[in-house]
Amino acid sequence: MTLVVLYLLATVDGALCGFRAFAGRSALIHKRAYYSRALLIGAVAAQIASFFSLAVLLLAVVFSSHRAELRGDLESAAGRMLWVFLPYAAAVLFNLALRALPSTDIRAATSVMVLGPLSGLRPFVMIAGVLYGIRSSLLTETKLLGFFVLATMLLLESFLSRIASRRQLRELASAN
Amino acid sequence: MFAAWNPSQPEVSDLIIQHDPVTLERLPVRKDAVRSVFVQSGNHQAVRVIDALPERNGILDPAAIDRLFVITHSEMQRLAEEFYHGGRVWELLQPVIAAIRATKAPGSDRLRIVDIGCGIGYTIRWLAACTPLAAQGVDLVGMDLNSTLIREASRLARAENLPCRFVHGDAFSPANSGHIYLSTGVLHHFRGDDLANFFRRHELPETQAFLYYDFQPSFLAGPGSWFFHMVRMRTALARHDGVLSALRVHSAETLVVAARSASPGFASGMYGRRIWRTPLPRVFHTLIGLRRPLSPEFRRALRHRIGRLDELA
Repeated sequence: MTLVVLYLLATVDGALCGFRAFAGRSALIHKRAYYSRALLIGAVAAQIASFFSLAVLLLAVVFSSHRAELRGDLESAAGRMLWVFLPYAAAVLFNLALRALPSTDIRAATSVMVLGPLSGLRPFVMIAGVLYGIRSSLLTETKLLGFFVLATMLLLESFLSRIASRRQLRELASAN
Repeated sequence: MFAAWNPSQPEVSDLIIQHDPVTLERLPVRKDAVRSVFVQSGNHQAVRVIDALPERNGILDPAAIDRLFVITHSEMQRLAEEFYHGGRVWELLQPVIAAIRATKAPGSDRLRIVDIGCGIGYTIRWLAACTPLAAQGVDLVGMDLNSTLIREASRLARAENLPCRFVHGDAFSPANSGHIYLSTGVLHHFRGDDLANFFRRHELPETQAFLYYDFQPSFLAGPGSWFFHMVRMRTALARHDGVLSALRVHSAETLVVAARSASPGFASGMYGRRIWRTPLPRVFHTLIGLRRPLSPEFRRALRHRIGRLDELA
């Protein structure tokens, strides 16, 4: 169950990373289709990252000489990570929901005062969550897996940014 | 104070594109000349921005600068979208247009709205896409001295089939003058006497109103703008100039004094300085100017938003 929640959070995080990577790169007025594609690309990238993380995790479990112990250790580390990731995700999603209110001041305030700072905090939340998760882990494998997942999560946004930047430059070149 | 935050210096983007003031033709810009401006002021951040710009024989590469400007303006549009800027302009335009039509002032039958320094034309394109103005026969025009940005604005408008147009030229020339002038983030580029000269040019018989949006100076402007640009903007140019522009803005008092003394035919004042009725400053405030006979009808048309309007005089 804990892994499923982490996977869902990674998917939402990937989709929002996709949005941020593509935001500010299209100056059209109507961008629903553009942002839908950005969210989708981000979510797909998160699936790839999750797949690799799961593959490494399974390999570690399969080749471990103490499988049951490792499984238990991984589950408790993942459970501790949720204590950091879930409140962060709740704050982001709550403020995104606030943007449905028909007030330009409230909507703008969510960007300026909450969503902007929260996106700035994302790498630190990722680091804090993983460190908190593996802090009291008993096994080195768990700690290494934690760092692998952390690296994947941190690289996701810059990977998506690179894709978005290339697309933007291609579009500008074809427009001129 | 950080050297990059010194409001007495120009923005990098003010210097890396130069146009002939009469013909508006693009002029070559020497990289070392621009660099020396910021070396003198000790602004190492700006020097790094300039060092990264491509050059050919000491002259900044115009194609690369154009590409950088378009990318930067796309990023700036994202900020405008996050601030719901189109909606804010529309909120004030409606009562202004209602006042012009109710008083049958010049332009009431065929209004022309001109966005000065429109960049890639976000405001005008938003008005064309999201309001009934064009269907009502209102001519929506964006103007800028930068031909690259005008080309990009026109391309974007064509891509979405928007009923608006973009012109490279002087917004106050007889051929291009408007009944209502708009601008966003432009006023702080006029320093010293240039600000009064800018307002003096509004005294055209057809011009009925102006709505000028700019950052509002506050103790939060520097750190707030720095943080927001670090999080949201990607280009070093945008990060540098965005913060500096928030620090170079004129106070409401400076704007009102300049507008009232240089364009006495207009009743002018500030709008939307505070968030609701709290002391919290809005990020943007608006300098509004109206031909005096429009003022009573405008106030009526503002309805419950009248509380956001300071004194019009």
